[in-house]
Amino acid sequence: MASPIRILTAVPICDGHDSAINTINLEFIRHGIEVVYLGYHRSVGDIVRAAIQEDVRAIGISSYNGGHIEFFAEVVALLRKKGAADIKVFGGGGGTITHEDAAVMRRKGVDEIFFAGTSLEEMVKFVHQRYGKPRGKRGCAKTSDIELAHKLTEIEDGFSKSKRRSPKLETAILKSVTRVIGFTGPGGAGKTTLIDELVLRFLNKDRPTSDKATAGRQSRIAILSHDPSVIGEGALLGDRATMINSQNDRVYMRSMATRGQPGGLSPATHDCLALLARSGFDYVIIETVGTGQEAMPFQKNGIVDQTVLVMNPDYGSRLQLQKIVMLDLANIVVVNKSDLQRARTAHTEIEQRLEQNRRAQRLVDTVAKRHRDPGVDKLFGLISTSDKSKRGKERKKL
Amino acid sequence: MSKLGQVVESVEKYNRFVLDQVKRARTDQKFGRDLLGRWNDIKAKIPTMRAPTGLPLPRLALPEIDEPGEIARFLFGEGLPGEFPFLNGAYREMYLEPVREVESFEENGETKKRKTDKKIPQAEEPTRLFSGLMLAEDTNERFHYLTRHQRTHRLSTAFDGPTLYGIDSDADGVFGKIGEGGVAIDTVEDMVRLYDGFDLGSANFSASMTISGPAPIIMAMYIAAAKRRFGPAVVPKLRGTIQADIFKEVQAQNETIFPIEPSLRFLTDMVEFTTREMPRWYPISISGYHIGEAGSTPVQQAAYTLSNGFAYAEMFAVRGIPVDQFGPRLSFFLDCGLDVEYIALARVSRRIWAIGMREVFGAGPKAQLYKLHTQTSGRSLIAAEFKNNLTRTAAELMLAYMNATNSCHSNSADEPFTTPSEEWIRLAAHGQAILLEESGIFKHTMNMLSGSPGMKAVERAIEAAILDEFREIERLGGVLAAVEDRYQRSQIQNASHRYEQQINEGVRPIIGLNRYRNGSDDIPEVKLARTPRKKQQLQIDRLVKFKKKNADKSKRALDKLAGVVESGQNCFPELLEAVEICSLGQITGRLQEVVGRFRPMV
Repeated sequence: MASPIRILTAVPICDGHDSAINTINLEFIRHGIEVVYLGYHRSVGDIVRAAIQEDVRAIGISSYNGGHIEFFAEVVALLRKKGAADIKVFGGGGGTITHEDAAVMRRKGVDEIFFAGTSLEEMVKFVHQRYGKPRGKRGCAKTSDIELAHKLTEIEDGFSKSKRRSPKLETAILKSVTRVIGFTGPGGAGKTTLIDELVLRFLNKDRPTSDKATAGRQSRIAILSHDPSVIGEGALLGDRATMINSQNDRVYMRSMATRGQPGGLSPATHDCLALLARSGFDYVIIETVGTGQEAMPFQKNGIVDQTVLVMNPDYGSRLQLQKIVMLDLANIVVVNKSDLQRARTAHTEIEQRLEQNRRAQRLVDTVAKRHRDPGVDKLFGLISTSDKSKRGKERKKL
Repeated sequence: MSKLGQVVESVEKYNRFVLDQVKRARTDQKFGRDLLGRWNDIKAKIPTMRAPTGLPLPRLALPEIDEPGEIARFLFGEGLPGEFPFLNGAYREMYLEPVREVESFEENGETKKRKTDKKIPQAEEPTRLFSGLMLAEDTNERFHYLTRHQRTHRLSTAFDGPTLYGIDSDADGVFGKIGEGGVAIDTVEDMVRLYDGFDLGSANFSASMTISGPAPIIMAMYIAAAKRRFGPAVVPKLRGTIQADIFKEVQAQNETIFPIEPSLRFLTDMVEFTTREMPRWYPISISGYHIGEAGSTPVQQAAYTLSNGFAYAEMFAVRGIPVDQFGPRLSFFLDCGLDVEYIALARVSRRIWAIGMREVFGAGPKAQLYKLHTQTSGRSLIAAEFKNNLTRTAAELMLAYMNATNSCHSNSADEPFTTPSEEWIRLAAHGQAILLEESGIFKHTMNMLSGSPGMKAVERAIEAAILDEFREIERLGGVLAAVEDRYQRSQIQNASHRYEQQINEGVRPIIGLNRYRNGSDDIPEVKLARTPRKKQQLQIDRLVKFKKKNADKSKRALDKLAGVVESGQNCFPELLEAVEICSLGQITGRLQEVVGRFRPMV
């Protein structure tokens, strides 16, 4: 089966009109398209960076606040400048974009502009026809980020064709000095917000300097995030839309649909993670879809250094805790939203549950939505200062 | 129980009270007689008017009842216009033509004519002049053009994207957005240019500013600009409105720049200052319009707007601002579309607000009023066979006035495909004049169209549905908790999706689109006035100069501001200082360092 088409959608900077794009996203997904949704009020740089990292076929921009001629043109120009001209651009803006504007925008390299009154069917048909053909052989990538993006796509597409792993990726993880941290937990616990807040702390730890000699040596972070999908259908990959700190050149993020695999990860996750883990990042963060009680599937093979289970204080009765296998396996358990009334009870009950395990598991309370939350600072301390000498040693051969 | 839960109880309790009064009127003879006496007094005092055709009509129409129970049901349940619980109107006369000639019929049948010595006052122009384009001086010129024949200057200001998001014009990647869709404001100097030539302290002038995320900063710039031109004594005289509605931004419109809690804190800081120092200013316009435009059902719109209002009232009360000080400074803004709910949506809202404010917040009469501005629905207008939009807007205007809105804006028929042009703006404004001035529907008699069995049925259904929404929000922990839970957002998005599906499936007829379509769209080719690059560059150059000029002082001012924010004190006085030497973007940026940035909700 052919891989689903991946596109990225966004609303430009200083524009919050997301009603149209929300409707269009749903229609695309219903018709087998995987949509990486970047959200509203997004800059040209954020859009192009995300499109390159996600290696999408095209970017769909919904603009209702004016300035579209410049904005669309800047997206096309930046894609070309970065060596990603194979990523195409289309969009619309209801009545705000005139036919005359559209003519100018097409001349500047935009594939298509949809006007007020265009049916959703027409847009879906356009995306299928224009971006549905398999990619031809791809040329030499201009930057390492693009090269990485292409490789991740190859891995993901490989799994759509056959279920077997590509053999060359099974080695070479041992040499890595990358720290891999896994985040799992039920949906709505605030994993994405928590990760984005941790990213802010990573970035602030060694802020960019004006000194060019050291500028190249800043730490970089990769994030591999997952959203659920059924085989042969589309998916909304929406984690980026709520992230504010991770829109940064030092963050490399890739969103994957599970494409029918249970357990909160994609069939290609293992190989993609392995590739990221040896691509020179200081940290790789992997986020599962909101899973329930099962274990984190990739933990056994040792690719992950540390696992964090993010809990919501509203997990139900105390008995529920006995069923959560991850409570036995996680290195760190986070009770997020600890400003909620039930958080104290949750902390006590989880603490007792962890004591049964008699392992050095840590329990942290956070309020990820709060700026400069001390709980997140503490979690960051646990993650970033873990014994570096152990890196790699604990990892078994796959 | 939160205040919203108490509001639900107070409305239920009030409805029981009304039923009790009905029963009492029927069983307690003295009470019944008194009511009947009062009723007859009211009726006797109603003057009679003559329509231009000579037909005599009462200035206030009342239900034809003479049974004490029914009288009680009307007086307590609905109230006369201008009387609690204000179902029929916030004020006594609303759109009635001013009294020119009152003819009263004396008992002997002789007609006496009394001339009033008042000249026919030309009522204040109903049109609100919404404008904002390019740079401050361009918008200023436009304001002068629009008001050239008007005695009162009510200016409504739209801001460009960067300003709405608290970003400076020289920020990366916003060049094309400068002056698009609204005016570009970066500094207090721009604010001086924006209203240049207008007498900001005059009773005939008011400024309305449609901005929420950075509202406190823009408010501070407005005050600072007024002080620069007229001295500090002008401050208590300033009149106008700033939207500043954070909840609806998070629920629907997405123009939020700080996390919710600090956004609300900055808002409360501003409200505390303006209600004390600027008693004629409306520091918040609690807006359902954008909730409706984002696709909510009418009931959701009314319920979220009201519950947001009660949440603000609770916040301001907790801060220690007296309810009779802030209550009269709250105003509301609703959307009016074509769904049947709009027959009575604002009427019911007005009643719930009055009951809640009186019973739960202890508000006096002036703080019970749901003062409403209505705009016809932009969402109901479509590009296909767009001239039909005139009819849609006319029907919506009719509904808005049937709800006794205090002011109204009617949309231009060409809105679905372009920035409204002169011709269609004029037609839209004239639609209001035709209804209010030319037609006899609203100018002779109050309550002309209220109180029909159908309207009452709609009122009851809406009220029950709104209270259900309140209960759900209360169950989620109140407005703030529900907002953070994305409750209202998801509900609005679902409703929006359902609406689109209904259109697609044809169960929601849209004439010219999915019914009676002739296939040939007659959209005229439009040419839009775009902000020239030269002007955009000029805005940047001026901003850079301003920043350079104040470079020494601005950092200190920002540090001081940040310190006050950290300390938890009211930071509005400090903002007033900062805007003198710092740009909008500099202030937003520094505040974000302290309180964080807003995390978008999807």
